[in-house]
Formats: sequence, structure tokens, C-alpha cells
Amino acid sequence: MYIIEVCSGVCKKAIISQVEPDDFANLTQERYFFTWKSLRQTAAIYKLQIEGNDDILGVMALVDHQSEKRIEIKLLASSIENKGRFKQYDRIIGCLIAYACQLSADRYLEDACVSLVPKTTLVNHYKQKYHMIYGGWQLYLEDAPLQRLINEYA
Amino acid sequence: MKNNKVYKKLIKEHTPEELAEAFVFPVKLTKKQQKEAAEQLAAARKKTRESRTEEIKNSLRLQHLKFRIEDYLDVKKEYNPEFTFGFFLKQYVELLEKKRKDFADEISIDETLLSQLINNHRLPPDYITIRLEIHSGNIIPATYWIRLIEKQRLHDISTNEDLRRIEKKFVTRVITEKQTA
Repeated sequence: MYIIEVCSGVCKKAIISQVEPDDFANLTQERYFFTWKSLRQTAAIYKLQIEGNDDILGVMALVDHQSEKRIEIKLLASSIENKGRFKQYDRIIGCLIAYACQLSADRYLEDACVSLVPKTTLVNHYKQKYHMIYGGWQLYLEDAPLQRLINEYA
Repeated sequence: MKNNKVYKKLIKEHTPEELAEAFVFPVKLTKKQQKEAAEQLAAARKKTRESRTEEIKNSLRLQHLKFRIEDYLDVKKEYNPEFTFGFFLKQYVELLEKKRKDFADEISIDETLLSQLINNHRLPPDYITIRLEIHSGNIIPATYWIRLIEKQRLHDISTNEDLRRIEKKFVTRVITEKQTA
């Protein structure tokens, strides 16, 4: 998995791992927009870092619906300097979603599924950029589109 | 700041495309909406499952194996004597629900060689790892198989005290002091 430094075009190896208790002190609302600590009881929280660098560039909260063989992305955010036109690194969100797909494939093999409830204004962009399928209130990835996203980012 | 306020603030500053490339926002559904959402998704997934091809099924199963191998190859993960090349090769064949004879034919090797590899009686020559990479549709690279063997070798060489005792007699001089220029 790699992300791209926008100004130089240099690819950097991305490492995704579960957030450790000490990380929550750094996951401030100012830099990561939401109160991540409040999700620690209800979701598994993952962080994206560049290999060899402790700085967290993206965070994602996942809920595993085991009975449905589905992992739901509850919340996902790039750090403040990685949003918008002037972001430092590209591909952060794609890598995190692809990681959720890998986790789902690891747990549920061919039944792997990743879903999210989108803001209405963002639906088309998730579909175009991350191959998500319309499933009513939710968008989801399964089968070939899920495999395709893993191939593109993982 | 409440979650919805975060979204309202950001949508004033960024295009929807920019937001989709940086966020998945939390959306609260009522109980009724949650029920509806679950039913809709279950119906949509049922349709997807009905059209699932064997190729996709196999590639997702191999993603599972790839993830397991990656996890084990992580430098922080300790050596586990059970997780040999043969162990993961056996998993590979079983996940694809293939008979050993058929799988051996698909990568043009003798079934006996396949059994030797699976039972750790032989280490694979490089060409086998390349054939496995091609067979998996590049999902599991040859380097993963090589790194599994390396992990095993590194452990063996660093813990083999018998070999150290045997080889010691062939070394006629031991540099015990730090040499200075």
C-alpha cells in the first residue's frame, strides 16, 4: 500500500494498524475533526502512517457486523493537512477503505462486504472513486468491485 | 463541535469531491431507517451473490490467504514453527477446493513434489514460487513465498547451536578485540 506526496509525486509506503491507547491523546478534534476517543467502545479504530514515521495521516472507525458478514465504515477522516485541493498526500482514504476490504476478505472470504452510510451529496463521488454500489440507504463493496479496490490500493 | 456541524462547515469550504476524498462522515439513522437500510442492503447483496463467479470467489479467498501471510511476515510477528511454506501452500490448495493432483497439474509439477513441499520435506525451487504467483493471478507475489522461507531460515540459523559447535573447530583464529585502524 502506498500514498503519494502531491508536491513531489513520490510514493511512500503506508502502514495501517489499530490505534493504540496512547494515540488518542494525539487524535485531537482540531487535526482529525471528530472525537475519536468516544468511538473506542463501539468501533475498532485504525490509523494510517508512513512507514518509519509516527505521524498519523488518516483514521478510520470500523464496526464488524458478524452475523451479516459485513464491516461498516462508521467514520473516516484524513488529517487536516490532507484534505482539499492543497492536501499533502493523495490516496489516504482509498488505502483505508481498501484495508477495510482486506479485513473483510480475511474474515469472510468470498462473502466479504464493506458498507457505509453516505451523506447524500457525496454518493456519486464514492461510487466513482471507490467503485461503491448503491444499496438503498447504504453504499457497499462486494465481489468484483471490492476486489478491484484492493487491487488498486493494496 | 458536533459531527453534523463539522460537515456543514467543511461543505462550505470544499467541493463534494474533495470531501469524498478525505472523509466518511457519520450519518445517524432512526430505528425505522436502520431497519430499512438493513433490508435494502440484504436484498442488494443477495443479487450480487447470485451472480458471483468462481473466479471472484477464488480471488477473494486468496486475498484472505495473502492477508494472513502478510500478517505473519510482519517483522514484529514472532517466528512460528507451524507457519512454514508448506503450511501456507496447503492452505492455498484447500482454499481453492482443489484436489492435489489437479493443482499439481495446473502448475505442471509432479503430485509427489507437491506433497513433499506441503509436508515440508523439500524447499521450493524459485520457479515454483513464480508459478504460484502466476497461478494466483498475481494476488500472492513470489516474494511472499520466498520471504516465508527466509523467515524460517533466519530463525534456524540464529538458533542452531549444534551447527555453531561443529563449525567452531574450523575457525583457527577468533577476533576478540575491536580492531582499530
